[in-house]
Amino acid sequence: MVFEPFEEESDFEELAERLDDPDPAIRRVAVLNLADTADPEAITLIARAISDSSPEVRLQAAIALGEFDGLEAAAALCEALQDGDSGVSRAAADSLAEIKDPHAGEPMLALTSHQDPKVREGALLGLKQLRRPDALANGIKAMNDPVPAVRIQAVGVVGYLKAEEALPALIAGCRDDEPEVRRTAVGALAFSKSAHAVEALVNATADDNWTVREIAAEVLGKQDSGTRASELMGLLEDPFWQVRVKAVRSLGKLRVSAAVDKIATQLDETVSNLRKEAAAALGEIADPAALPYLEKLVDDPDPDVRKNVRWALGQIG
Amino acid sequence: MDDLREGLNEVECDLLVIGGGTAGPMAAYRARKKNPNAKVILLEKANVKRSGAISMGMDGLNNAVIPGHSTPEQYTKEITIANDGICDQAAVYKYAQQCYSIIEELDGFGIRFQKDENGEYDVKKVHHMGTYVLPMPNGDTVKKALYRQLRRARVLISNRFMATRLLIGKSGRAAGTIAVNTRTGEFLVIKAKAVIMCMGAAGRLGLPTSGYLYGTYENPTNSGEGYAMAYHAGAKLANLECFQINPLIKDYNGPACAYVAGPFGGYTANSKNERFIECDYWSGQMMQEFYNELQSGNGPVFLKLNHLHKDTADHIEHILHTVERPSRGRFHEQRGTKYSEKMIEMHISEIGFCSGHSASGVFVDEFARTSVAGLYAAGDMASVPHNYMLGAFTNGAIAGEDAIDFAEEVDFDDFDSEAVALERERVLAPTRREDGIPPNQIEYKTRRLVNDYLQPPKVTAKYELCQQRLAEIRDDLENRMVVRDAHELMRSMEVASILDCADMAAFASLYRKESRWGLYHYRSDFPDSNDEEWNCHVMLSKQNGRMTCEKQAVQPYIIPIADDEKDAYYKQRITAQA
Amino acid sequence: MPLANTPTSVPVEVDEGKCIADKGCTVCVDVCPLDVLRISDLTGKAYMKYDECWYCMPCEADCPTDAVTVNIPYLLR
Repeated sequence: MVFEPFEEESDFEELAERLDDPDPAIRRVAVLNLADTADPEAITLIARAISDSSPEVRLQAAIALGEFDGLEAAAALCEALQDGDSGVSRAAADSLAEIKDPHAGEPMLALTSHQDPKVREGALLGLKQLRRPDALANGIKAMNDPVPAVRIQAVGVVGYLKAEEALPALIAGCRDDEPEVRRTAVGALAFSKSAHAVEALVNATADDNWTVREIAAEVLGKQDSGTRASELMGLLEDPFWQVRVKAVRSLGKLRVSAAVDKIATQLDETVSNLRKEAAAALGEIADPAALPYLEKLVDDPDPDVRKNVRWALGQIG
Repeated sequence: MDDLREGLNEVECDLLVIGGGTAGPMAAYRARKKNPNAKVILLEKANVKRSGAISMGMDGLNNAVIPGHSTPEQYTKEITIANDGICDQAAVYKYAQQCYSIIEELDGFGIRFQKDENGEYDVKKVHHMGTYVLPMPNGDTVKKALYRQLRRARVLISNRFMATRLLIGKSGRAAGTIAVNTRTGEFLVIKAKAVIMCMGAAGRLGLPTSGYLYGTYENPTNSGEGYAMAYHAGAKLANLECFQINPLIKDYNGPACAYVAGPFGGYTANSKNERFIECDYWSGQMMQEFYNELQSGNGPVFLKLNHLHKDTADHIEHILHTVERPSRGRFHEQRGTKYSEKMIEMHISEIGFCSGHSASGVFVDEFARTSVAGLYAAGDMASVPHNYMLGAFTNGAIAGEDAIDFAEEVDFDDFDSEAVALERERVLAPTRREDGIPPNQIEYKTRRLVNDYLQPPKVTAKYELCQQRLAEIRDDLENRMVVRDAHELMRSMEVASILDCADMAAFASLYRKESRWGLYHYRSDFPDSNDEEWNCHVMLSKQNGRMTCEKQAVQPYIIPIADDEKDAYYKQRITAQA
Repeated sequence: MPLANTPTSVPVEVDEGKCIADKGCTVCVDVCPLDVLRISDLTGKAYMKYDECWYCMPCEADCPTDAVTVNIPYLLR
């Protein structure tokens, strides 16, 4: 007896027929089967299900399209993003974020000023991954959106493009009312080596919100801005240890010899993670001035700290 | 479904890949990309959509060698040290050089890695020599993304077929496989010019402490067929005595992952709330200290997060509960345990073979070639040490590209058709019996004996007793096992592999007369390591129908290791207790 | 020796009201790495036929109608 050992070829006619079945559950299974084919030919049929009368079928179609790519899938998802059913539009937003073909960004561009903030947010999220230079204008404009969630995605679009001409917008984002927008904008400045960007980062070290100061401390470590070491050192007095950890790491990375005494103050902290990072940073800087501080810690109660102290002592020589 | 049917079909292909988990899909995909005219078959005993060790995904990479964060030289050095020097560096070095391009390729498949606000990979700092941790925020979509690529690359996928034996041609080359359908019992003979085995760990070797046969650390579908089939085909297997043993949540088989919690300040502690190991990165030496603490008056051992800020503890809990083993959250919920409130009891896993975490595997070189011509291996079953998920992808890609070139150069190697008839009879024998012992009982007994006798510390007399008892079970398996449907037939083949692996574990362990790799190969009657005699691989193979071991020299290092670096992993126990 | 049928409480539960296996859906059966789920000839709904579960969850995660719940096997609980 002979049998078929391979996954069967897709029968699109039969699938299309089931897509017209009066029973919504059968239509839903048809969408599942279409997604399984992974064949771009299935997109047209699944896109048809985006306007199905049953929200379950539309939901399944919105999920299924996330497994495909290209303009046709993106256009159908943009339609689903505007669906009255919130489950369908949420699934469409998730699926849009999976699109990779930059050409598929066309219909998303048209939606960044849609009346519904959920639609604007979903469209920007999709655009972010595509890194289309022509989305920069949409992103910058949406950074002034009244809805914070939209502004966060807008900063995402702009940040991924790493464009010097967007600096004024990103710097303005660092002064946004919403902390999460500011945090994202500060993070997005990492690419720029310009004096304006560094200035904005320095300003962010004095932000009211600790998560903004934390990312500023981290990003300053990515800049070759040894001249800004004083601000980083200033962050070592921050009330939040999370901020101090990042500042210590950045000072170590930048090998700021002048910071040895300041970093050493962190070796007395009760948070052992901070002592560990401070010891590691002193090792990276490898300045003999750190020796007396480190030697005091060879018997630290935390083994991880002791290990880093040993390593740092080895680095100094 | 499941009723046994008669059936035999034969197909041909240029390249056969057995196992559709992690390495297998990548091997098949790359082979088709390199040679779009080649016919490539991917055989899988479950369904490629959700099969293998990462069926539910993975929360991140822990061995990503990314330019700017670490170098292939640093990585190769670390793995050599972690393996007590028993490491052919060429394969590790090649992995380290190629894995970044694989990360980019996977990113293109839609498997996203964590990025910063400028879209650059957000690699996490964990330890000094290098930085290897890269989180995967949508790690649960890995398998789906691979499946799409396979369909689009027109790889011929054959789900629900379990390979039982390799076919070896008259000139000694790999010639294909015999497989059986797990739902009908129909046979499929696949003739191939080259074969890649990506059949995962031998994870169903020891019995979990819960007593539940399927509550294993590894996905229990990885029951060691790759090891057993390679053995019966005459391939060499390396360092099988270097067992896999991992720290787990007690009773739940998910990894305790103190190294995930480490960067946040979490660690492994004893019942006195004290830390007792220096580094929570998994190594045999770390497991030895873990074991010692469990047995001591300070036991048991716990994952300690309750000293952290509640937000931090909750954040770690969230990472550990979402991807890879998402039922972990459900387990703790039922027990009423919260990471932020109480220390979580840990234990050690049952033993297994898995190069992904240790070094036990079918021996391969830096092209993923085994010692049998035309036969390749990649992933958890191949001998490249500590290669984890990214190693499976990378070595799978290397295997696929080398094997498809090999297949183009050669013709089918004729095999003896008698081999097919004999194998069918072997597989179907338990179905011919009216009554007898079902596979699950044979499996339980085998694995219970593995725990009783083979679990380290390894004692020679216990090992020899185990070999006798396993021989008795083999007699039952060959002469008294009964199977009633196709599903049980799959299980009966699995238990045969488990028994083969148990025999190999015992044999290889007895051969290496020293201790090495911490708990993985701790022999109470040879407690010290002996570099003079044993700084080599132990190679196990079937010669003239008998299990044999021999020594093989470690290849000269490409990346030299300084003397004072060699014992870095030995300094595990904390000396100065505060 | 005759074989006995020993009862066991299985980890995977299927809500038959939500399950659409009778409409042609085979998602949970397809994705199970251990192949322990089947569709009942009697009810047309999915159920756990073999108690050989790794509680890995694809059946629950991939079910289009949220009909599947994976519990921790009693021996581990």
